[in-house]
Amino acid sequence: MTTTEKPDLSWLDDVTMSELERNPYRTYERLRAEAPLAFVPVLGSYVASTAEVCREVATSPDFEGVITPAGGRTFGHPAIIGVNGDIHADLRSMVEPALQPVEVDRWIDDLVRPIARRYLEQFENDGQAELVSQFCEPVSVRALGDLLGLQSVDSDKLREWFAKLNRSFTNAAMTEDGEFANPEGFREGDEAKAEIRAIVDPLIDRWIVEPDDSAISHWLHDGMPPGQTRDREYIYPTIYVYLLGAMQEPGHGMASTLVGLFSRPEQLEQVVDDPVLIPRAISEGMRWTSPIWSATARISTKPVTVAGVDIPAGTPVMLSYGSANHDTGVYEAPSTYDLHRPPLPHLAFGAGSHACAGIYFANHVMRIAMEELFEAIPNLERDTREGVDFWGWGFRGPTSLHVTWEV
Amino acid sequence: MGFAVTVGGRRVECDADQSLLDACLRAGLWMPNSCNQGTCGTCKLQVVGGEVDHRDSPFDTLTAEERAAGMALACQARPVSDVEVGGAGDRATHPLRDLTATVLEVADIARDTRRVLLGLPEPLAFSAGQYVELVVPGSGARRQYSLANTADEDKVLELHVRRVPGGVATDGWLFGGLAVGDEVEATGPLGDFHLPPESDDDGGPMVLVGGGTGLAPLVGIARTALARHPSREVLLYHGVRGAADLYDLDRFAELAEEHAGFRFVPVLSEEPAAGRRSGFPTDAFVEDVPSARGWSGWLSGPPAMVEAGVKAFKRRRMAPRHIHREKFTPADALG
Ligand code: HEM
Ligand code: FES
Repeated sequence: MTTTEKPDLSWLDDVTMSELERNPYRTYERLRAEAPLAFVPVLGSYVASTAEVCREVATSPDFEGVITPAGGRTFGHPAIIGVNGDIHADLRSMVEPALQPVEVDRWIDDLVRPIARRYLEQFENDGQAELVSQFCEPVSVRALGDLLGLQSVDSDKLREWFAKLNRSFTNAAMTEDGEFANPEGFREGDEAKAEIRAIVDPLIDRWIVEPDDSAISHWLHDGMPPGQTRDREYIYPTIYVYLLGAMQEPGHGMASTLVGLFSRPEQLEQVVDDPVLIPRAISEGMRWTSPIWSATARISTKPVTVAGVDIPAGTPVMLSYGSANHDTGVYEAPSTYDLHRPPLPHLAFGAGSHACAGIYFANHVMRIAMEELFEAIPNLERDTREGVDFWGWGFRGPTSLHVTWEV
Repeated sequence: MGFAVTVGGRRVECDADQSLLDACLRAGLWMPNSCNQGTCGTCKLQVVGGEVDHRDSPFDTLTAEERAAGMALACQARPVSDVEVGGAGDRATHPLRDLTATVLEVADIARDTRRVLLGLPEPLAFSAGQYVELVVPGSGARRQYSLANTADEDKVLELHVRRVPGGVATDGWLFGGLAVGDEVEATGPLGDFHLPPESDDDGGPMVLVGGGTGLAPLVGIARTALARHPSREVLLYHGVRGAADLYDLDRFAELAEEHAGFRFVPVLSEEPAAGRRSGFPTDAFVEDVPSARGWSGWLSGPPAMVEAGVKAFKRRRMAPRHIHREKFTPADALG
């Protein structure tokens, strides 16, 4: 048993959701210093904030996956991020075949390069652009949309869906009684889901009778006895996981990497001149502003002591990977983007049995998109007349990125 | 017990119980990696020498065929011997040779500038734009000089040499006692400053910018490019201080006569002369070419000129992977 003196964390009572969404770093810096595992009242949950504690909780045999309350309200059950045991194994076996490196290598270039080219062609001679909405997000959603079999859904609609699902998923504020503090914050997510069902249900109807090579068609059929398909209610929560995180995050990742590079013009120039550096630049971008900043959680399966705190069985702990990646115990000057910092592993893709299933695919989408961007516009500059704002606690990235170049 | 892991020419110590990835990252050597638990495949690499133990590498991430083909996951694999890891696609290169050449001609062609022709006992395989390293007699010093030849001019090497006052290789030798008939020790060919193989050369427009004797490799590259695609657009800028530094004007006039798409543009930086462009060659390019999309660019000369050239090319939106630069420190700078 531990008998450590409890730090005074009453300052946490004043932390609000909108403050975390604007800038979570101040709060989490203090958490890392004072209580790497702490109960945060506005979230109604324990939070792990350092690299060590995030990794420990994410990989511990005494914890398993659980979805956050707002996440569960948004996605329903069984979402891949919130289930364990056989159901988790089945959902992983359903999503993984399309995301295996050997498989991805087969088609990734042919899939992503033309998409990136197509969006670039629309603005490459304009001399100015807003890259988040004109490039990063469209490439991100189009690549995954085509992989899933959603060719008929246009990119703007996919972008609208992930934005609505995002705000619903991260509508995390809780009252003292453990109720949602802002229940109407789920409405736009519900509307998005209704629209998704209206569009995807007919596609599923068709895939059931006419399987094709799209990922969702495979999800329905793979590993099932002949003549049977997975029930759509069983796969929808995981479709929503994709339509939020998997759609949104490669876009966030590219945009954050670009903002980071713009903060180091000499490093931007090195990367533009030598595209071999792009994967490293992206890796540092993921560390610097982790797209999935604090969206997943684990729950203890028995009483455990973590970072000196005793918690009973059944205690959820949110994993703040975006904070872990700013841990000064691991990274020097973590809030600085630095392509050349000592290349230590980061936690932007999570850890343990619930680690991101799309790492390889996502890294290549971002790489190819950035290769094409720098190839088409090697003289890219940030438009300094416009600022760059980051937003998000659950998911984080720049809301816009204005650039100019000589044409 | 530790082993040596060699990656791209760098050696890193790796314990028998340490992953290759961990050893490299700790030594400050970056490698792609994401999950560090063997599930994402980001760290997959080719083992070209020695052996590794794959430990817990999952077969989903690293298939049996990949293992048989020598692939490994850096985050999982432990060395069981010294290990060499492959870099990005080792391209076939011309074998490096030690040569003994004979001086056939030494000619003063411009202010402080000589052309040296070296005869070889047997042909040398190289690509236009590559360089050789000469051993300065008596001093053991080595100096790098680009070849102005095309690949079929493989028995007489043409070098352009600029005098550096007091330099061991120039004043002390090439501008000193060097005489026809002398033997010269050399090594070559070296360097990656050359055209892509003919099969990958689509005949696209090219701009070449040479500063001083940095012109030499461009003479070989431009002539090779025109031989492959006689009507392609080739702009060759030669940046020098004054008209007295220019050379081979007849050669370029002749080339322009044979190829309508070829243009030679001398640019004088310090001593303006009537009928000649003045300023820096990279600025002249920016003035002349409104868009270099789809072009390739070739830079050889003093580092500041090369840097300015990269910027100028990108400003005109040339794709960076089509920008080629001679990276060795020009012999002029060393003497
Ligand atoms: C840069 C882009 C991305 C980032 C930063 C990212 C990051 C993450 C993170 C942090 C998690 C939670 C891990 C944990 O709880 O330990 C996760 C889960 C997941 N990601 Fe990604 N992701 C990205 C893109 C993608 C893409 C494109 C896909 C699919 C094509 C994908 C599929 C998944 C799945 C299926 C899970 C749930 C895994 C499970 O709970 O078993 N991700 N991702
Ligand atoms: S880093 Fe993911 S498999 Fe090695």
